[in-house]
Amino acid sequence: MDMPVAKKKLGLKERYALMTRGLDWQTTYQPMDKVFPFAKYEGIKIHDWDKWEDPFRLTMDAYWKYQAEKEKKLYAIIDAFAQNNGHLGVTDARYVNTLKLFLNGISPLEYMAHRGFAHVGRAFPGVGTRVACLMQSLDEIRHSQTQIHSMSNYNKYYNGMHSFPKMLQRVWYMSVPRSFFDDAVTAGPFEFMIAVGFSFEYVLTNLLFVPFVSGAAYNGDMGAMTFGFSAQSDEARHMTLGLEVIKFVLEQDPDNLPIVQRWIDKWTWRGYRVLTLVAMMMDYMLPKRVMSWKEAWEVYFEQNGGALFKDLARYGIRPPKWLDQIEFDKDHISHQAWSTLYQYGGASNFHTWMPSDEEMDWLSAKYPNTFDKFYRPRFEHWRDEQKKGNRFYNMTLPMLCQTCQIPMIFTEPGDPTQTCYRESTHKGMKYHFCSDGCKEIFDHEPEKYKQSWLPVHQIYQGNCFNPGVDPTAEGFKPLPVVLDYYGVGFGRDNLDFEGSEDQKNFAAWRGAATTNV
Amino acid sequence: MAAVAAVKPYEFEAADRLENFHGNQLLYIGWDQHLMFCAPFCFPLPPAMPFRAFVEQVLPGAFGYHPEFKQIDWSKAEWLASGQPFKPDWDKSLTDNGLAHKAVLRLRTPGLTGIKGSAT
Amino acid sequence: MSTIDLRTVTIKPLRHTFTHVAERIGGDKPATRYQEGTFDIQATHNFHYRPTWDPDHEIFDRARTAIVMKDWYAFRDPRQFYYGTYTAARARQQETAESNFAFVESRGLVSALPEAVRHLALELLLPLRHLEWGGNMNNAQICDYGYGTAISQPHIYKAMDHLGIAQYLTRVGLLLADETALDAAKQQWIADPKWQGLRKYVEDSFVLKDWFELFVAHNLVLDGLLYPLVYERIVDDDITMKGGSAIAMLTLFMTEWYGETAKWVDATIKTAAAESPANAQQLSQWTREYLQRGVRAIQPIARHALGANAEAVLGDIEDQFKSRVAKLGLAL
Ligand SMILES: [Fe+2]
Ligand SMILES: [Fe+2]
Repeated sequence: MDMPVAKKKLGLKERYALMTRGLDWQTTYQPMDKVFPFAKYEGIKIHDWDKWEDPFRLTMDAYWKYQAEKEKKLYAIIDAFAQNNGHLGVTDARYVNTLKLFLNGISPLEYMAHRGFAHVGRAFPGVGTRVACLMQSLDEIRHSQTQIHSMSNYNKYYNGMHSFPKMLQRVWYMSVPRSFFDDAVTAGPFEFMIAVGFSFEYVLTNLLFVPFVSGAAYNGDMGAMTFGFSAQSDEARHMTLGLEVIKFVLEQDPDNLPIVQRWIDKWTWRGYRVLTLVAMMMDYMLPKRVMSWKEAWEVYFEQNGGALFKDLARYGIRPPKWLDQIEFDKDHISHQAWSTLYQYGGASNFHTWMPSDEEMDWLSAKYPNTFDKFYRPRFEHWRDEQKKGNRFYNMTLPMLCQTCQIPMIFTEPGDPTQTCYRESTHKGMKYHFCSDGCKEIFDHEPEKYKQSWLPVHQIYQGNCFNPGVDPTAEGFKPLPVVLDYYGVGFGRDNLDFEGSEDQKNFAAWRGAATTNV
Repeated sequence: MAAVAAVKPYEFEAADRLENFHGNQLLYIGWDQHLMFCAPFCFPLPPAMPFRAFVEQVLPGAFGYHPEFKQIDWSKAEWLASGQPFKPDWDKSLTDNGLAHKAVLRLRTPGLTGIKGSAT
Repeated sequence: MSTIDLRTVTIKPLRHTFTHVAERIGGDKPATRYQEGTFDIQATHNFHYRPTWDPDHEIFDRARTAIVMKDWYAFRDPRQFYYGTYTAARARQQETAESNFAFVESRGLVSALPEAVRHLALELLLPLRHLEWGGNMNNAQICDYGYGTAISQPHIYKAMDHLGIAQYLTRVGLLLADETALDAAKQQWIADPKWQGLRKYVEDSFVLKDWFELFVAHNLVLDGLLYPLVYERIVDDDITMKGGSAIAMLTLFMTEWYGETAKWVDATIKTAAAESPANAQQLSQWTREYLQRGVRAIQPIARHALGANAEAVLGDIEDQFKSRVAKLGLAL
């Protein structure tokens, strides 16, 4: 009888290895290259997938158990928040606009991350890599759904959130975050991992989540805060995966270095441009501010990121390109972005407003070298005009950057008074960019970025009207029909916060709460 | 310019090719030192539109909100096309002025420095 | 804030759910979390770039399958699985599995197993780890290429279920034997003639381009033959009869999982087949083809485990499968 009587206890690492490694095999009825058709075309060389270090050793049974416990707690809080009218406890109804930005611009991207990780998980021949990616795929659908479920209650009482999937695909400024993710998922699996797993999850995620989650906490929003905290343990795993993937790829072959370096440059820049929206949110949209964008950049990128890139230097990796420009721009981009959303407030799904005196003083203090000089005069002028009944709604469509798709609002590195123009010519046609970064990204892959669905150009091509609209009709007004196409209700979802339904309802409901007791 | 790494040929028509604009071409214009308009503007215009019509009929709707717009002395205005000095002939069409699809203009108005001189 | 009792306010909501959800549930009324977390979440239009890994299609593209649906959100998961309900369901099942493993271990039930039974269980179950890994790959693939969250979402859950099952099988192996048994089983999977039909079936499925065909090949046919054969007829009936009820306890997760998952597979086929005669015909044709290949692939396993009884059992399984799919609107 060959039955082992007393078995040796397996260590955690050993046991986890048995639970995953060796599940795969070299296929012979079908060639491996056909089974894994996407593993090689990007030029990344992997010699031994087994060198992959499992960044976290979580078997499915343990995963189900922990995650179900987290879900139970989270949904209990979401339910209580809804039952207790928790939304009336936020600082001020302006805060809800940050949630509109989040639900429309981020939650559907969590979903894209889910599909993207399913794609790369299937594409990688290595078992450890696949398991890690598929687990992240599963986590990402969690994030998208817990966000939708947390904000579902807000949608019942506030405007601008009712059609988030449509808005992500149609509203002009949404093409910024969306094209970022479309770009990543249409890339090969390795680039996706550097784009999302490394640059986004590892390098930039704190700049996205900390502002929103602490913003929620500071502004009395238990609901949003809780899904943020609940996602944190997932994020810790995702960050580890992001770091592991880059080390693994760099250790596999020296030829991988220049490819990876270019991706780090590209995706840090792409991610940084998307964060413009977060910068604006931090400095302008939170009634109670957490920290300024500039401070957040200094802590989470310059300090933390600096340490990371020091660590990666031993692989030959240098810090991403264009950091000098980012360093200069950190005094400007939040103000430039808020100016943009304020003036195009007729065409978006959330409310904007001019900062109060007190808020402007906070901005002066946080941006002593730039706010009073460049932005306060602009804002005070607009505020005065608004008082005169002449609130600025810019009705002429802006020029967009071909790569990041943000209107060309950024200024020359070193000169905040001069719009930065860059252009390239490809196959006889001009393309325009907001920066050297965006131009270089285009120049490397023009065949990709010439496809960009640029909202402004699409409107002019007649592609942003619902069926049945006749743009040649007498007295045709494009804005109302474009808003229809966007799913934006004129006068409810858009325009200034002052006088909005959100503002009135919140005041009435809060009033009822304080007087009816 | 490099090629896109792909599993098979990766080539497409540009999303913004001229023929998609129903007879119009795109023209961009920014007003230097007037960042109240957060970005340059984009217009779909008939290639045969005289430059004068562009300035006199199109620009006021776009830039007119700015208090300095009325103060522009057009005889002193300076123009750049794709960053190079440009002398428009006001009575010629966009095409005859050498402005093709997706040309970009910068308007400079010396002496006008924006709200309180802040380049706004 | 603390002085305000917000609970006392009764306020009338502006709307009860999201607009796109309301359009699907017949008007603005409270919706379920499954509905809000599923409907229209996947992008469908205005894509920016074509995939470098598939320049002929958009990122999400209806044209990746021959099945045609007017509305890809016609599919419903009868289990109403979104992430929260999915993990809750699996957490309950793994708790049972955990206590079953603990029970078998603590009562020393493994050493009480007749050697022939233990041997058969190892020979039969351990190579299936690799098949389950194939299930993980194929379902990840369907999640990737599927169109619409209603049908792609359950596939990430199923992909991870297959991984979980592969891990349970690994634990069975480690309980009944040790690591060397895992290596031996992999050798069998790769070289033993009785496994080659199944291995070929799975490898061929890895290169399928049409994701709905892959769904039929793996989730309808392969699962539909293999789970009844292995877990119901061999483990629950045969092995149990021979004194191996401990094995049945260790694989209870699989039995229950299959019962639950098959309901969703059925609902999916039924919806697609009911959509049009063309769909029904295509699904029938695929099913016919894979059924033939699948039966052939599992035959040697059945013969090895059941001996003379194999043909009868296989006949039963095939008949049951045929009547199952007939009810779903397929004509074999
Ligand atoms: Fe996430
Ligand atoms: Fe850009």
